[in-house]
Amino acid sequence: MGIPSYLPGWDPHLLGNIRGDSMDEREKSTVGFLLILPALTILAVLYIYPLVRSIAVSFTTDEGVLTFANYKKVFDLYLKDILYTLFITAITVGITFVISIIISSYLRFKEWKFLDYMYRLPLFIPFLIVGHAMRIFLAPHGTLNSLLTRLLGMKELPGLSGSWVGLVITFVWVMTPFSTLIILGAFRALDDSYIEAAINLGSSKWKVIKDIMIPLTRPSIMVALVLTFVRTISSLTIPLMVGPNKPNMITVDMMFRVNYFRDWGVANALGVISYLIVLGLAVYYLKFMMAERGGLKA
Amino acid sequence: MNPWRVTLRVIAILLILFILIGPLVGVVLWSFAERWYWPSPIPQDFGLRFWKQVFSQGRVLDSILLSLTIAIITVGFSLALAIPAAYGFARYRIPLERILLVLFLMPQAFPQLPIFINLASTFSKIGLGGNMWGIILAHTMASLVFSVWIVTATFKAIPVELEQVARNLGASRFRTFLTITLPLAVPGLIASSIFVFLWSMGEFTAAFFIGAPFIQTATVLMYTASMGYNLQIASAIAILLIIPSIIFMVIIERYLKAEYIAGLGG
Repeated sequence: MGIPSYLPGWDPHLLGNIRGDSMDEREKSTVGFLLILPALTILAVLYIYPLVRSIAVSFTTDEGVLTFANYKKVFDLYLKDILYTLFITAITVGITFVISIIISSYLRFKEWKFLDYMYRLPLFIPFLIVGHAMRIFLAPHGTLNSLLTRLLGMKELPGLSGSWVGLVITFVWVMTPFSTLIILGAFRALDDSYIEAAINLGSSKWKVIKDIMIPLTRPSIMVALVLTFVRTISSLTIPLMVGPNKPNMITVDMMFRVNYFRDWGVANALGVISYLIVLGLAVYYLKFMMAERGGLKA
Repeated sequence: MNPWRVTLRVIAILLILFILIGPLVGVVLWSFAERWYWPSPIPQDFGLRFWKQVFSQGRVLDSILLSLTIAIITVGFSLALAIPAAYGFARYRIPLERILLVLFLMPQAFPQLPIFINLASTFSKIGLGGNMWGIILAHTMASLVFSVWIVTATFKAIPVELEQVARNLGASRFRTFLTITLPLAVPGLIASSIFVFLWSMGEFTAAFFIGAPFIQTATVLMYTASMGYNLQIASAIAILLIIPSIIFMVIIERYLKAEYIAGLGG
């Protein structure tokens, strides 16, 4: 039981005979556990169970026999789509990183309320609506091309919706505010003295960003990038609405497998592969965090 | 400021507006477009025909009301589960506390689609498929992180001493919670409710797999309309769904923590 000795003028002895303080630790943690039990039960039944089930189904036939056939089918049919998914995700993370660093650095050095509010606009718009909006915006005769053809004096421009470029544009549009929010927060938490010292010593702003601000905020930047990666690779609605018909991202493949073929085995095998990709990244991230912490201590 | 800087600033503002607002302009135009043929950059005929349809045609209005019902019940369930859990996390020593808290984040930070596909398949076997309650259960599970995390942080920020004083004066544990802790936590409860509400309103995947083909939430109907090139109806629903997001975003600015927002958008 934490006695609030930090309170000014508070005598810890006053608390000695408070009811409940006499309760021993074990009883206390039982009450606490009972309080979180309902929420944990919901999580166990509605999350852990389907998670385990998805792995189990991916390894069994419809009759419940152990099989690797689903995975073989995935590699025969969807290897290209898996690589394409990784490619789209990697490009999205890369571009999002660069734009977030530019916006965050600008706002760290200069106050500009307009940009500070505007960059957050896409944060709360549901992905599905972003998908719909971008379908209209990037269509061959959409808002973007209407403007560009008039500006450039051209008659026709190819539409970007239904191409991987349009898909990446949409992902970057939706992911950047979020990763900027994290990185800008970290930049703003940096002590001015580091930055001013470097600038006084004659470093350019670009060098300060590259050599001081980014290295000092690496853990936050990693969080931003990892979350961008996971959100991109797990998104169904955006590739469904904006992406090309072929190749597909694996989330879209999963949906088609279920909707058109009722093929839960292959759909779940694709799901397990998406788990593995994210887990691989998580392991890398944890290793990085360990190294970072170890480095700080040493 | 010299004229060059002003020009540069104006160009920057226009560019930012174009990048951020541009994609939404088409949605607004389409929702008012009664006739719009290429190559006209704006609709030939503007009108409210499709907006009237949205509010009078059974299917559209029903889907919006269904989404609202689901979101409101989800908020209720989510709070009912999160308030005790958050109090437990904030005030008791829970073994593996951090791991358990991260567990609540899992549905939002790990591929979601396979979970919902399997949930839908299980639900359809026990009569929860094509059923509002199936969607509510899925939404409650996936949005627990917003309520549990935000409310835990809120309870942790309320000084224990306030509770101890009330207990010292003879109030029971429950009464203390009800009259001291809970009222102080109201801002946090509202913020978490807003997150859960917005997430549920904008959620597509669970609603699609669990509800289909019997019931359609607003997002599912919007998807069907957009894919079927019924762009006016899709755009009108999209605008209806964006408006609360933008209003709430302004209200809860100080609760804008990256961890929670990661899940928004679906």
